[in-house]
Amino acid sequence: MAAAAATVTGPSAGASGVRSIFSTMDYGPAPESPSLVLAWLDKQGSTLGHFVNGKWLKPEGQEPVTCRDPCSGELLASCLQADDGFVALAVDVAGRALEAWSPLPGAARAQHLLRLAETLRRHQKLLWTLEAMASGRVVREVRDGDLPLAQQLLQYHASWAQTQEQALSGWEPVGVVAVVLPPAFSFIEMMWRICPALAVGCTVVVFGGPASLSALLVAQLSEEAGLPPGVLNVVMGTAPPETLLPGLPGVAKVAFSGPVQGGLRLLVQLSAYEEMLWKLETRLRRVRQGRSLDWAVDMGTRGPAAWERAQSYVQEAQSQGAQIFQDGSTPPQSPFFPPTLVLGLAPASPCAQAEVPWPLVTVFPFRTAKEALAMSNGTPRGGSASVWSERLTLGLDLAYKLLMGTVWINAHGLKDAAAPVGGCKENGSAWHGGPDGLYEYLHPVGIPPRPQGPPQLLDYDKFGLSAPPVLPSGTSPASATAPYGVFVAGRFQNPSSRSSRPVLGSGGRICAHVAEGGAKDIREAVEAAHKATPAPGWASRVPGSRASALWALADAVSQRSQELAEQLVEVTGSDLADTRTEVVLSIARLRAWGAQVHAQGAGLHSAGPHGPFLRLREALGVLAIVCPEGAAPARLCVSHRVQRPFSSTLSSWQDMAGLLPPGLVNVVTGDRDHLTRCLALHQDVPALWYFGSAQGSQFVEWASAGNLKAVWANGGRSRCWDREGEGAGPELGLRAARTKALWLSLGDI
Amino acid sequence: MSAQNQEIAFDITWISNVQVNQPAVLRRAEQIQTRRTVKKDWQAAWLLKAVTFIDLTTLSGDDTSSNVRRLCYKAKYPIREDLLKALNMQDKGITTAAVCVYPARVSDAVKALKDAGCDIPVASVATGFPAGQTHLKTRLDEIRLAVEDGAKEIDVVINRSLVLAGQWKALYDEICEFRKACGDAHLKTILATGELGSLTNIYRASMVAMMAGSDFIKTSTGKETVNATFPVAIVMVRAIRDFYWKTGKKIGFKPAGGIRTAKDSLAWLSLIKEELGDDWLKPELFRIGASTLLSDIERQIYHHVTGRYAAYHDLPMA
Repeated sequence: MAAAAATVTGPSAGASGVRSIFSTMDYGPAPESPSLVLAWLDKQGSTLGHFVNGKWLKPEGQEPVTCRDPCSGELLASCLQADDGFVALAVDVAGRALEAWSPLPGAARAQHLLRLAETLRRHQKLLWTLEAMASGRVVREVRDGDLPLAQQLLQYHASWAQTQEQALSGWEPVGVVAVVLPPAFSFIEMMWRICPALAVGCTVVVFGGPASLSALLVAQLSEEAGLPPGVLNVVMGTAPPETLLPGLPGVAKVAFSGPVQGGLRLLVQLSAYEEMLWKLETRLRRVRQGRSLDWAVDMGTRGPAAWERAQSYVQEAQSQGAQIFQDGSTPPQSPFFPPTLVLGLAPASPCAQAEVPWPLVTVFPFRTAKEALAMSNGTPRGGSASVWSERLTLGLDLAYKLLMGTVWINAHGLKDAAAPVGGCKENGSAWHGGPDGLYEYLHPVGIPPRPQGPPQLLDYDKFGLSAPPVLPSGTSPASATAPYGVFVAGRFQNPSSRSSRPVLGSGGRICAHVAEGGAKDIREAVEAAHKATPAPGWASRVPGSRASALWALADAVSQRSQELAEQLVEVTGSDLADTRTEVVLSIARLRAWGAQVHAQGAGLHSAGPHGPFLRLREALGVLAIVCPEGAAPARLCVSHRVQRPFSSTLSSWQDMAGLLPPGLVNVVTGDRDHLTRCLALHQDVPALWYFGSAQGSQFVEWASAGNLKAVWANGGRSRCWDREGEGAGPELGLRAARTKALWLSLGDI
Repeated sequence: MSAQNQEIAFDITWISNVQVNQPAVLRRAEQIQTRRTVKKDWQAAWLLKAVTFIDLTTLSGDDTSSNVRRLCYKAKYPIREDLLKALNMQDKGITTAAVCVYPARVSDAVKALKDAGCDIPVASVATGFPAGQTHLKTRLDEIRLAVEDGAKEIDVVINRSLVLAGQWKALYDEICEFRKACGDAHLKTILATGELGSLTNIYRASMVAMMAGSDFIKTSTGKETVNATFPVAIVMVRAIRDFYWKTGKKIGFKPAGGIRTAKDSLAWLSLIKEELGDDWLKPELFRIGASTLLSDIERQIYHHVTGRYAAYHDLPMA
């Protein structure tokens, strides 16, 4: 029942050893030789440099930092730490390489990726040994998991590159991508990000810490594979460059991630709870921990910091009344933290809310599937989950209803290059793998990229804190028909401020008054939108029903098109002919998105012997849109095809209100900055589109970090909504829904 | 050998609620074959241990007293003596666990082993091996005759039609009758897992066989198209574990058919160690039914001792 494996000793236990092993039947050490890695490190000299522009660079004056084997504490190498100047240099190198790399035909880039795959295969032993030694993950996991997946990632993305001109027409590479690696797991996490970036024509600067030696090796091998210098660069440093990078001119995108594999949360049905625990404990007693280079161990270590995190969580949990199960055979001074069950935590205790560190499993009983769903969706995390049930109906139902990026049914941890990995809620909205991973590095052709540069000086505490007062300042045309108020839950109601603001038409003349919305109106609008979403609401309606609702709306707009066009003339001062075109376009867009409701949905993809996965496109939930100038100032929509936020004056809403379910679309008018602040700081708004000023964009992005809402902000650049690509292109479709990968394991024959 | 298992009352609830999740079993099977490498001295010791688990088997139409006799002597001297000496293992009394033959060859084997001066038990297949498609009366007679001839262990095959028809109680009753017919001999029940249709059926048949008093449950006859596989083994050893948790009784496990290489045998040992624990790593609770495995193990031991690969003629034939 020993858990901690013997440390790696000499190769033979001697002739008397066979006798004693014969009676104990213990496992022995089965070490992978580190000699290849030691020779490679030796060749680099005493200090590893950076790999930039196709060569090793060791600039003077950079502070070296040591890289140690987390299992043994042995010194592996010294790495340099890049300073700001060197980071800028690397980005500059990548920027120059971009000029030749991105115009290459996709087919040529595909060849490069395939050659890289071949080169990695040639040096796979060096790679898996180095990754295991530097990261502390067991060598078997790296060899049997990471390396085949890396090959698959390169091949998969080579296929996209090969067909890029057809399959991804209308999109272009974003430019230089900065990839910030998590502390452990450097190799495969890097591959998930660099493969799509390189495939579509971006160049990459990878930032790694001391555990990321394999990243340097991959960069060196990419040079051997003939990748042009500067296309893939690796810069070492322990200081997190997240703060430095976004402001650096030339970086188009920063891809980073926190600790990759945390602990787990296990929910077990009460009727099976005791038996399940018993089985789990039995299994945990057989988990072997030891040096990452031992072929017969299950778990290595993630270093002292991870050990500390786990230990303090355990102590915290105990103080909050939890019971701890650990196999008792890990020696106290060991660098290995044993796999641990944390039992009896109440969901309300602080530990149950906190992120569970590796290698801990918190176990909770549940009474019904409904309760399990509530418990699971009731945390801020939305990465991945697995559902275990022998009942297909139950398993699928849960899988659909879990708010997660990936759900495995009767399996756990399956990966495939074609299966997008991402999440929702606090897991963020970035994706790796599959088509979703590609679009992270693409940008629609013809839309100039967001202006880059350091963030402006902006007082986040003050931005939009209150709406400037509006005093009576003139007359407005009396209109008996125009409704007044904020449009929430299907009706116009008085704004909480009981104030109004004038809408200035062409020539500065007041053409209407709209309600002055505020925080309370936003709160009510978000509530109303949430009520409209769940079953039997909008998102669970059959596509046909959603389509016909949009088409009915189109008809209603169409019937009043003349009136609308005239009102638009009054507000915008444009020609009647132009506003007519605009109204006709609005109607066409409504119809087009209505039609697309049918096209959207699930795609079934085959993924090897474990069974296929479904790529689902799900509703974002509540989507907040801060409309561009000339449109109603703010509008709340439930996604599943949001029609384009086009200017439509309020009077038309009265007729249309009845066409959509109450709460589906809510409109709050008022001061743009103030309403933006209310929306961005609302934790229960999972997605926000902002089309306004550069300052507003910056605020929205800053504020959204609170719940990692999916943000689409224009950075102050105006968008030509009447152009097909910008006003109706695939980018809107991509942003308007969320992906979920649902793995179906099959096989009982 | 440990005390015989006795039948316990048939309880349908022990099998009716169980569903085996095949994809999960397949993944566990994949893991278990690769995660427990043993090397060097550990490998040599484990291989010698594996020898002591072997039911050295010949089940051919052309078996005669002469090749059965040869087999019995190989069972007594499974590894060349000088190799054992080099490992300081010559005094450990390493023999195979049993010799396994057809009922008609039992007396030949008993005599040969007596001549060789050892008490290795003779196991006999029975009950219409390998198909089990004969009348119950003749199947029971077959057991009794083999026991009379001196077989200490009887490897019976179950009636697959009862499994496929879901007649679990009838299966239980038949195996209980086998149990009685065995008398003092040990009952090893072959499930012929390759013909049971699903892993869930394999679990249920395992449980029924144990309830009915089997001392061992065994995967295959070696004559089915699919024999001992790791997924099947995981299901059977989990049934053994569940039975142990319910009753406190330790039932043995015997994979048979298709286990030919030394490397395979190591994986089987680690499967038992991982799933059932060290308690099961003894001939009373674990056997490997094999005919050619022994010679591959001997070759590996030869290589471990000498550093050279053996020629065909370096090692004595069975």
